[in-house]
Amino acid sequence: MSAPGSIVVPAVSERARRLERAIGIAALLGIVATVCLGLWVTPADQVQGDLVRLVYLHPGVAWVALYLAFGLAAVSSLLYLWPRTRSLFWDRLAAAAVEVGVVFNACTLISGSIWGRPTWGVWWAWDARLTSTAVLLVLFLGYLALRRVPAEPEVRAKRSAFVALFAAVDVPIVHFSVLWWRTLHQGATVLNPDLSPTIHGSMAWTLLLGFVSLTLVFVWMLLVRYRIGVLEDALAGRELDAALRERRAEGDPDGADTPADDQRTLAPLDQREGERVAVEAGSAVLREGAR
Amino acid sequence: MRYVDAGYSFVLGILFLYGAHLLWRRKRLTRDVERVAAASAREEGE
Repeated sequence: MSAPGSIVVPAVSERARRLERAIGIAALLGIVATVCLGLWVTPADQVQGDLVRLVYLHPGVAWVALYLAFGLAAVSSLLYLWPRTRSLFWDRLAAAAVEVGVVFNACTLISGSIWGRPTWGVWWAWDARLTSTAVLLVLFLGYLALRRVPAEPEVRAKRSAFVALFAAVDVPIVHFSVLWWRTLHQGATVLNPDLSPTIHGSMAWTLLLGFVSLTLVFVWMLLVRYRIGVLEDALAGRELDAALRERRAEGDPDGADTPADDQRTLAPLDQREGERVAVEAGSAVLREGAR
Repeated sequence: MRYVDAGYSFVLGILFLYGAHLLWRRKRLTRDVERVAAASAREEGE
């Protein structure tokens, strides 16, 4: 048991630090290689000319946002809601995946728009693929906004998990939109229904390298963002404790006339048995102050 | 090529800025946690 007001943050092992650094360096080298191959080594396309070079980036960021980030967020949220696997680890992992996924989703829309302007003649079209991807971004921005609403960690985790699962329903809609509706957007180049890639040679290898590099970038960002979540939760718990002790001292400087009920409620606070108890105690103190 | 250059610049720029932002956030939070931990240790000592 830790002392009152102490802060408990799981330490990061040296091995984990080295792994994170290795992933970061590999991601950086992969991105540099993809850019060099994509811009200067691979040939131009017969139809699209140099514009085809955007293929080494745009599908890769979409792959990370839709399938890796939002897929991971959905699975983590499901594991949080499942009583046998319920743990704040899954909640933090989902939050980290969504934040990184939102950045990649924005990159998907921006790079797609830049590609669409010279190809289709417009920056934006209310096409099924584009619109469903934009809706996905808005849904997961809503998820991030919801997480900022003050609440007990368990309550926040539960409602965030429901929202993540609801938002993730849009992922298959985005994927199949090019098959279900007549769209401006082309069909899948690699993951098409025949599983027969329509890209070959150095272009195919560079595309694959782009996918791997961007996946490594995602993993690195996820690790860093997850650690940020752990630190934020630790600090939030500590600040809540400090505020409650301060309020308690203000309301009862001598400790002589504290009602017995509040004593019982506040006693576990000193034992740091969790933020839930702290919030309950805070409510009791505030109610007493209001009287 | 200007659309290609713009696409690469935007995507890689956003990813770079977000990555740098993550590192800054983690560094700041780690420093805050260490400060709070040191203050707690001092309180316990008194």
